Amino acid sequence: MPSLISPAERDYILKGIECNIRADGRQRPDYREVILETGVISQTSGSARVRLAGGTDVLVSVKADIGPVLVDPETGEGADKGQIICNVECAPSASQQFEGRGADELNNELTQMMTRFLSHNTTSLTSTPSNTTPSSTTSSHNSNGAGGINLSKLCIIPGEQCWILYVDALVLDYGGNLVDAVFMGTRAAIFDTRIPKTEVQDLGDGNFDFEVLDDAEDTEIVEGREDMPICVTLNKIGARHIVDASPLEELCTEAKLVVAVNRSGELCGLQKGHDGGIEPSLLLEMIQFGKTLGQTLIKQLDAKIKAEADADMVKRQNGQPVVKLGFFAQ
Amino acid sequence: MSRAELLSPEGLRIDGRRPAELRKITSTTCVLSQADGSAYLEHGNTKVLAAVYGPREARHRALVLHDRAILNVELNVAPFSTGERRRRSKNDKRLLEMASFVKQTFEPVVIATLYPRSQIDIYLQVIQHDGGTLQACINATTMALIDAGIAMTDYVCACTAGWVEREAAIDLNYMEESSDTSEVTIAMLPKSSKITLTQMESRLHVDKLEEVFRLAGEGCKQMYEVMDKTIRDRAEDLARKMAV
Repeated sequence: MPSLISPAERDYILKGIECNIRADGRQRPDYREVILETGVISQTSGSARVRLAGGTDVLVSVKADIGPVLVDPETGEGADKGQIICNVECAPSASQQFEGRGADELNNELTQMMTRFLSHNTTSLTSTPSNTTPSSTTSSHNSNGAGGINLSKLCIIPGEQCWILYVDALVLDYGGNLVDAVFMGTRAAIFDTRIPKTEVQDLGDGNFDFEVLDDAEDTEIVEGREDMPICVTLNKIGARHIVDASPLEELCTEAKLVVAVNRSGELCGLQKGHDGGIEPSLLLEMIQFGKTLGQTLIKQLDAKIKAEADADMVKRQNGQPVVKLGFFAQ
Repeated sequence: MSRAELLSPEGLRIDGRRPAELRKITSTTCVLSQADGSAYLEHGNTKVLAAVYGPREARHRALVLHDRAILNVELNVAPFSTGERRRRSKNDKRLLEMASFVKQTFEPVVIATLYPRSQIDIYLQVIQHDGGTLQACINATTMALIDAGIAMTDYVCACTAGWVEREAAIDLNYMEESSDTSEVTIAMLPKSSKITLTQMESRLHVDKLEEVFRLAGEGCKQMYEVMDKTIRDRAEDLARKMAV
């Protein structure tokens, strides 16, 4: 991310946005083209790579491991649920300022955002401000918990063993709008995730033993994945707001609003960043806009994932090898 | 614990290769938008991404050298890179050691005197790990430095070699590395056949050393062919685009 922007450039961007023309020719509500590919990393339960035409490149992997259940000592909940543990890392190759410890703050912010929107604990919610960026956060209570994903289905032996989904996002290249790309990648990776089936045997006396069935064809999908939210980041520049900001536009941003929405249009999370203020009426307008755009994006994303899966199926039926382009698709 | 048969009676390794055969190598340069130079390299299933920033103003004034550039190498391994998910901290000793190996390898090769008082940053990201990480890192760094246009005296090509059961073999994969075989990593300048890095863990009988080194040298020469082809193809591609 270029850390400096000249006053002339800033003025150019500001005036352009007023007239609904952005620096790269887009209009205010226009999103850049999204290139999506799933199943790019072997040895994972699911993976996806999201690229925004402009440089942002995010790789997300989901690994399903078996571990002990996490029981909340206060409420006693969680004994019959699986877990989702998120982690976001920005590679130093992504931008000049990510070297050494430079990316730590951003990593932390993104990780916390993901954890909150995907697998929140209901007790530790409400106004947890991050250290330096003045922001306020709220999360709505999703009746399923965990961003729509059915955690109860991930439990193997209640009170003992469950599936833990480790979601690791790696930001390889920075071209603006990291949050949206990370969430889109996560949604695609969860769609791609296949969890092996388990067989539980009752040994009597309340003891259970389980066996993981090693059949690559007979696996389960992550239930509730269609209800996973994605994020739309809205940047307020001047009196207007834009989506999908480029790095220079992000430098001109006065206030940033991240809206997490699922396919039914429910608001799953909200976070405001940067040090500018947003008038309440503009805030409501932005949230509404983010919601509508989010639903459209989910539809497009799902269509892309489905098209890719169908194309792979056709290739397999014809006996052709399924080659993942990965880094070689420019 | 049953021991996997690393070398079959017919002389084939676990993945079906002959002992002196390299894995499939694919590479491409200029994959990142922000970095001055970048390269992506695959040695079979080992995937490494290298990004080079520089020469640019040094971060820490205290380290600046008045007559040459300083090299800074950072190595990151993704948590999903191995079969078992493991998050490695930035200060992991193994990673720091590998990063310093890469730095030592390139310090004599990069013509740093052309860029006084500046810093050249090399960031390596291991995306998938299936043996031969150090060799892949060195090879990817060479290509990324060339892509960034930084002057070097020669390519640096690296190759691992070891003694697998009864024969010397090159380009060991994860299974071969983690079992009881010895492994040597060699980085070589192909034109002069000079070696800039030798690193070995484990024990190797001195009688077998010459054979292993010779094979590694040949492996490096093969790597040079592959890397050179990629760079030249890209240069031709760029020249063609500029000519229009």
